[in-house]
Amino acid sequence: MTEEPLLSVRDLKKHYPIRKGLLNRQVGAARAVDGISFDIAPGETLGLVGESGCGKSTAATSIVRLEEPTGGEVIFNGGGRSGATRNADGTHPNDVTRFDDRELKAFRRDAQMIFQDPSSSFDPRMSVGGAVAEMLQIHGMSDRHRRRAIVEDLLERVGLSPEDYDRYPHEFSGGQKQRIALARALVLNPELIVADEPVSALDVSIQAEILDLIADLQSEFDLSLLFISHDMSVIREICDRVAVMYLGEIVEIGPTDRVFADPQHPYTEALLSAIPTPDPRSTAEGIELTGTVPSPTNPPSGCRFHTRCHRVIQPDDVDLDQSSWRGLLNLRDALAADSVDVDQIRENFRTGTDTGATPDAVKGQIRREFDLEETISSDEMESLLDAALDEALGDDLDAAAATLSERVTTPCEERVPQRTSHEPGHESACHLHERDRSAPPNPADD
Amino acid sequence: MATKKPEQFDRVDWSELSESRRFDLSINSIGMLVATLPLALLWLYDYQFVGEREATFQAIGLSRNLDPLDYFFVFTLFLFFFYLILPLYQNPRMTRYYWKEFRRNRPAVVSLGWLGIVFVGGLIGPLLISAPEQSILTGHQPPVFLSIDEANVANCVGEVVNGRCQGTWQHPLGTTRGGKDVFAGIVYGMTISMQIAFITTTIVAAIGITFGTVSAYAGGWVDEVMMRFVDIILSFPTFLMFLLILYIYGAGLGMFILVFSAFAWGGTARYVRSKSLSVSEEEFIKATRISGASTYRVVRKHVVPNVASSIITQLTLLIPGFLLAEAQLAFLGIGDSAVPSWGQLISAGRSDLAFAPWIVLSPGIVLFLTILAFNFIGDALLDALNPEAEAESA
Repeated sequence: MTEEPLLSVRDLKKHYPIRKGLLNRQVGAARAVDGISFDIAPGETLGLVGESGCGKSTAATSIVRLEEPTGGEVIFNGGGRSGATRNADGTHPNDVTRFDDRELKAFRRDAQMIFQDPSSSFDPRMSVGGAVAEMLQIHGMSDRHRRRAIVEDLLERVGLSPEDYDRYPHEFSGGQKQRIALARALVLNPELIVADEPVSALDVSIQAEILDLIADLQSEFDLSLLFISHDMSVIREICDRVAVMYLGEIVEIGPTDRVFADPQHPYTEALLSAIPTPDPRSTAEGIELTGTVPSPTNPPSGCRFHTRCHRVIQPDDVDLDQSSWRGLLNLRDALAADSVDVDQIRENFRTGTDTGATPDAVKGQIRREFDLEETISSDEMESLLDAALDEALGDDLDAAAATLSERVTTPCEERVPQRTSHEPGHESACHLHERDRSAPPNPADD
Repeated sequence: MATKKPEQFDRVDWSELSESRRFDLSINSIGMLVATLPLALLWLYDYQFVGEREATFQAIGLSRNLDPLDYFFVFTLFLFFFYLILPLYQNPRMTRYYWKEFRRNRPAVVSLGWLGIVFVGGLIGPLLISAPEQSILTGHQPPVFLSIDEANVANCVGEVVNGRCQGTWQHPLGTTRGGKDVFAGIVYGMTISMQIAFITTTIVAAIGITFGTVSAYAGGWVDEVMMRFVDIILSFPTFLMFLLILYIYGAGLGMFILVFSAFAWGGTARYVRSKSLSVSEEEFIKATRISGASTYRVVRKHVVPNVASSIITQLTLLIPGFLLAEAQLAFLGIGDSAVPSWGQLISAGRSDLAFAPWIVLSPGIVLFLTILAFNFIGDALLDALNPEAEAESA
């Protein structure tokens, strides 16, 4: 990249400590954001997408330093800071995480944020004009009339009328409030706006209006945008590039059209398959992610997505149907986590028929629950599974888990996948690609 | 702005503005300063140059004296005006909305009218009506339209018809045993009640809000220590404390107000703390923080106003407790008998209840109505000051 990016995030981390006990000792950490890196060029829109709880919002608040990041760098080159080079000790003068109070206040003028919930993003006891003008006041504009003139002009630009200045938040609809939120984010004339799910709380018809408005304002004022959403169709509409986040990490990043046309990470595939298609004849069915959503406190080893991945890799000497393989892994994890309730399954049979549960019927039921066929295609695996199920029926889940773990292992859980570059600017972190092309680990794109 | 300078957000030169750190006071604060300054000077003059037993305005020929309680009362009135009444005028939209909501509660509107009478009566009544004075000869005069057996009256002011002394307009609510006019006593009692209401509210609100917000924002062990201190305050036997002080130092109205409000803010502080915690989670607080506002500003401009609307209700319901406590103490004969409060008036008439019930009943009814009015208003404010709930249903 020849041009200097406006914002460049490097290995950003935000861990929330979990404290317990009398002495408040730290017993662990919820790794909400665990080492994400990306760049945003001037005037560009980067989408950050992922399911709820994957750390998107935490990433946003850490980047603008509403919360102190645990580690990493956020280098912001806007607002006359461009062209800076690293200090001798390796720190960057434009690192937001190291800004002192004065620099931070100046940074607030250059980077603003829009929040998700329009109903709570305005003080119910302050007129909306006052709320927008407050930004100007905080930054030293003490001329009341000037503040009012600026805000009235701005309200008009976002599609409201100057008379709305004196009205209160409860007098506006959600879409109107989001327009005012946009005005509030704009009023300090920032270069970067972080929009945290700005349209998720709105009706679809109003979503489109707000997205149009954002796009218009962006081109008019040459804004860069970090657009956070869980909705792939919204991302497609507005973003130049998209970064897919899973459990605190970025699993795929690339130009929006490339990512949508040719997703490289299985998680992206699953997200994309969830977009409803208007074509009734379309046969593409949604990819259903099985397995439980892991907790960021104790993320899975290796590739974090391996517990739910529908394309999880099989060992070289195993060649099973992919869904059976997924089922076996799920069964193994469930056994290890003690979450297979054999007694309950037996009980269910008893209420259905009075013959009681034969061991075979119970086994069959467990197989059905984990999407495993009556007999799976590999003899070795079938005998292993049968042995494990026998142990499970004998109420020894640990032994059953151990039996399965002998052979049912995937490379995905052993190593952290490296980033693979597919074409310029399109990268993903998945073992599938590492295997295909043993490309040298690609350093972050700077 | 006479010039046609285009005022647009993207044409502001921030480097020029942000450097000038001018002290930015609101009109309200300026007004408050302007009003308080002469008051403070007057107090200083009174404290330094006027003799112990001289009246404050003796130099200009007025016999009116001001004691520290009066100064504090006037100060709280200024606070009330500049931070409650003036903002209502400055934000007519919000005021109209509150009024619309408040008006739905008819008893509260009537109560507001009654409190208005008590307030105005307490403020200007003493200027128009001379203080009730002892006059043994005209003791036990009945109220107008009523009569009393001549035997109970030393000297009937009105006519005597069939051996019964008739009431006159000279003493519209009759007089006490000592000949003090009950109506004048009630008017002077209004001043006392208003002083109790305003000063206690100010003290309780000031300590409660400060303590609550500091506790909420400090967190950790500071929060823990502060809240345990509140537990102590709440479980403190205020009445015994007051008796103790009374026997050691003697206690006037000022001491009553000080002691009782110093132990009454515990509940308010707790309430403010929990409310601040919930308010500070709201997105608009984040939105203000991202604008670069200091924590002090966030608390002062957003947390406190949002908390205040809920504690106004709580404070309104606290006032009747103080008024009743004062009346009870006065009735029991504990307290300053020189203070012309309603309680003193009631206690003055308790031995004559059999033949002169008006002495107890008139101030008693006024006290009852005032307390009822505060309760009704507190109830109505609870509904009126909650615009969010309305917005959700709209």
